[in-house]
Amino acid sequence: MSRRSQHIQQRLQQQVEPNISCREGHDSIILEGIVDNWAQVVRAGKLAAHEGYKGVVNRLAIEGLTLPPPRSPKLKDTALDGLHVDVLIVGGGVTGCAIARELTRKSISVLLVEKEDDLATHASSRNNGMIHPGIEPHPGTSKAYFNVHGNAMYDTVAAELGIPFTRCGSLILYQERWERFLGPLFMARARQNGVPGVRLINKNEALSLEPHLTREFSAALHMPSTGIISPYLLTVAYAENAVQNGARVSLETMVVDMKVREGRITAVGTNRGTLFPRVIVNAAGCYADAVADMAGDQFFTIHPRKGEIIILDRKKGHLISHVVAKPRLLQVKSDTKGGGVNRTIDGNILVGPNAVEQPFREDYSTDRDHIKLMLQRYLPLVPELSPADLITYFAGTRPATYEEDFVIERSQYVRNLVHAAGIQSPGLASAPAIAEEVARLTVGALGEVARVGDNPTFDGHRQGIPEPERMTWEERDALIHRRPDYGIIVCRCEGISKGQVVDALNSPISVTSIDAVKRRVRAGMGRCQGAFCTPQVLRIIGEQNGEQLAAITKKGGDSFILATETKTVQRAS
Amino acid sequence: MTVRNVDIAVLGAGPAGMAAALAAAGGGADTVLIERENHLGGILKQCVHDGFGLLRFGEKLSGPEYAGRFVHMVREAGLAVLTSTFVAAARHDSEESVLMLVDRSGVTELHAKAVVLATGCRERSARQVMIQGTRPAGVMTAGAAQYYVNVLGYLPTTRCVILGSGDIGLIMARRLTLEGAEVLGVFEAKSTPSGLSRNVAQCLDDFGIQLHLSRTVTRIFGDDRVEAVETAAVDEKMRPIAGTEERLTCDGVILSVGLIPENEVGEALGVPMDPVTKGPVMDQNGQTQVSGVFVCGNAAHVNDLVDYVTESGERAGAAAAAFVAGRRTHRLLPLMADSTVLLYAVPQFVDMDAPESGAVVYFRSGEELGVTVVEVTAGGETVARHRYQHLRPPEMERLEIDLNRIPVSAGSLNIGVESAAAAEMTS
Repeated sequence: MSRRSQHIQQRLQQQVEPNISCREGHDSIILEGIVDNWAQVVRAGKLAAHEGYKGVVNRLAIEGLTLPPPRSPKLKDTALDGLHVDVLIVGGGVTGCAIARELTRKSISVLLVEKEDDLATHASSRNNGMIHPGIEPHPGTSKAYFNVHGNAMYDTVAAELGIPFTRCGSLILYQERWERFLGPLFMARARQNGVPGVRLINKNEALSLEPHLTREFSAALHMPSTGIISPYLLTVAYAENAVQNGARVSLETMVVDMKVREGRITAVGTNRGTLFPRVIVNAAGCYADAVADMAGDQFFTIHPRKGEIIILDRKKGHLISHVVAKPRLLQVKSDTKGGGVNRTIDGNILVGPNAVEQPFREDYSTDRDHIKLMLQRYLPLVPELSPADLITYFAGTRPATYEEDFVIERSQYVRNLVHAAGIQSPGLASAPAIAEEVARLTVGALGEVARVGDNPTFDGHRQGIPEPERMTWEERDALIHRRPDYGIIVCRCEGISKGQVVDALNSPISVTSIDAVKRRVRAGMGRCQGAFCTPQVLRIIGEQNGEQLAAITKKGGDSFILATETKTVQRAS
Repeated sequence: MTVRNVDIAVLGAGPAGMAAALAAAGGGADTVLIERENHLGGILKQCVHDGFGLLRFGEKLSGPEYAGRFVHMVREAGLAVLTSTFVAAARHDSEESVLMLVDRSGVTELHAKAVVLATGCRERSARQVMIQGTRPAGVMTAGAAQYYVNVLGYLPTTRCVILGSGDIGLIMARRLTLEGAEVLGVFEAKSTPSGLSRNVAQCLDDFGIQLHLSRTVTRIFGDDRVEAVETAAVDEKMRPIAGTEERLTCDGVILSVGLIPENEVGEALGVPMDPVTKGPVMDQNGQTQVSGVFVCGNAAHVNDLVDYVTESGERAGAAAAAFVAGRRTHRLLPLMADSTVLLYAVPQFVDMDAPESGAVVYFRSGEELGVTVVEVTAGGETVARHRYQHLRPPEMERLEIDLNRIPVSAGSLNIGVESAAAAEMTS
């Protein structure tokens, strides 16, 4: 054991739990032992980080706690068995889908597998849609680089993919006069990270930008490059454009093991057969460390940090346009960065998120006290907001490493593996830049075993599902003349038409669940939370897909909306 | 894009809207009845239980039967009806309202001299009552469950709990039981039921379904489909009490936790709302504070009897027709409800210049009361009084007043409970 790991072990034994042991492997430090609770696991992982190792592999277990296995698809078949592809991407979040699209610029075969029944079901749909300006990450980190570069790419990306995006800007409010002295520090950070247009503004100017804001602040930092996008629509759009350019997306497909020989992955086992990819991209979100482990290359550990977000009625959307936060500077911790309020691209106001360390990677349950606390803390930022505006809330988990930085690199030990892991906030903002870099690394790895040429027919433009609400009345009228289904409104709260639902069901990546439709066209996202439209969407799915109503699910698996028919009378014919 | 002009647009063809449209057309106005669904009748279409129309027709009708009678009248009267038509935007200019209508044929810009809002109400959702836990399939409002069972012919659950003792929840407890599902109990955070007493008796007691008062559902478990819920006793502020949690295995949670008037179109027209009723501030004929915009039925405030909904529709429709026929003066007196005993009273204003001298006041008590005399006073005079055997918050009461009895000098009307001594004397 090296002196360095011995030193860390000593510290962990003193400060966390005497039975923790440390060893080295793959340039990282591995923690083993049994502790009492999750807080100790996280504390040990953090203490071991940034001590000169490449990463922390935290294998500490908790006395009496068995973590549940990943949510797995029911499906078992051989649809993909024996398939040879150039690149296999594991994970259909925004990172994996952006990489898939980027790779289709080359004339190679790309397969993206996702274990759920749709894309963007985990972290990529469970965030506030903010395209961060890039002022928060420490200069020199991967986060800082990809955040700022990714942010700058969004105007082009959104225009090409045909999805709405706005540079709404963000405001950080300062309460106390002395906090203004932090302004120059932030300005310096902005310069170092290359964040454009950041200015310290006085209260009056901030109020002229956001007239409905609280008066309880003295100054604000204005970051005009902050943007807002629909994170699930973006993910779907990336994937659809990839598919249009020849990539293949296989849903309900889960990687379960890998064969590694002489530093190469030779076969990848899934619930749908064994795949033979030349290069594998690990974009597996909260399970990226498990995928790395399958390849024998785990040098980091994901600790899922939960965040809860409250959604308010669109009626109040006019009250703010910027992302607004008011950090409590005296209590600020780097990993619980300040939540606040922001308006989504569809006009709802979001409140939050918070940040809670907990062991479950796919536990999206919410907590009453947390919700109440966020309402108390953040609603006063805009005094006209009230708890009565709440329509729902949700949770997500951030796939954080103990180094709290992105892992974007070719594996040092497995020649045909590229990691895009630890992509927590600001992963959405960074996605376009990460995709470029990962595609470059992947093409590099592929180039060692095959010739890689450009895809001459690549077309980065995607036509989205029409959004009547964003059209002029004349455009809308003309659309209905072409497609009368666009004149039949099924979701009254959001004004979503049957035509949109039909188009979602017939989109390039076939989906069949209520939530998948909701992610694409917003049916059910409004103030009644699907009470009126779920039965209508159910009927349309049944009608379009020729499916029995009782077989239709909310989100794949066994999430059936209906149990049985009430009366099944056999009629004499 | 088509442009069309009418005298009156009635929004919503449930019981309120159909009554309003019939009254408006009967008053001689060029009226169009606009409905977003493809059939008339509103929520009554899925209310297959009986008990509708006792006051109106002296009969116990099912929801579809009650609606059917009005659908018949609408057809007989030859009313202009637009079904599958959605109001996508609305604005009010000084002389008219402009509604952007969307249907299969395209977009229509409808200019209406008067609008009657009969847009009904919607149900509160799970998260609005602070239920925590996961978001699996199997959590639905009672109205959605009712649609699945009565319209689609499917059971959405085989074993469920019902949260909230609102009328639809009670009715669905019985309906699901009759269809073979197991209802483990009805949980009500308040200490008294939210629904009508007759529904508690006929839907729960008769079927041996337990009503758990001062107890709520705090958490939902299950990833794909509901697997269990946690219930807990609550204190007087409806906060869960630690240590009283109990876990029940089930595959469904049905919510009947309150109704909210739907006034998105009203808001777009600039109609001010009453924070208590969540409906527009209005006079006895449903005239809101925006001239020419009227409201009736559950959009005005949540009713428990369809008969009253119809009555309010008729008044609003007739008033809209009178408005179109010729402007008149208004003199509004506020109707103040004694909030120590009453949950609310509507209308918020009484228009002393209205042509009809009769006006109807509806109110709910704030808590359960025994023998109570309720009176309306104005300028020191008692304008109306009525003795009730009991008053319960779920049961809306109706009181008629005669405008002629209101002193000219009166600056407001007050509704409250007569003092105990006075009540004693009258009994």
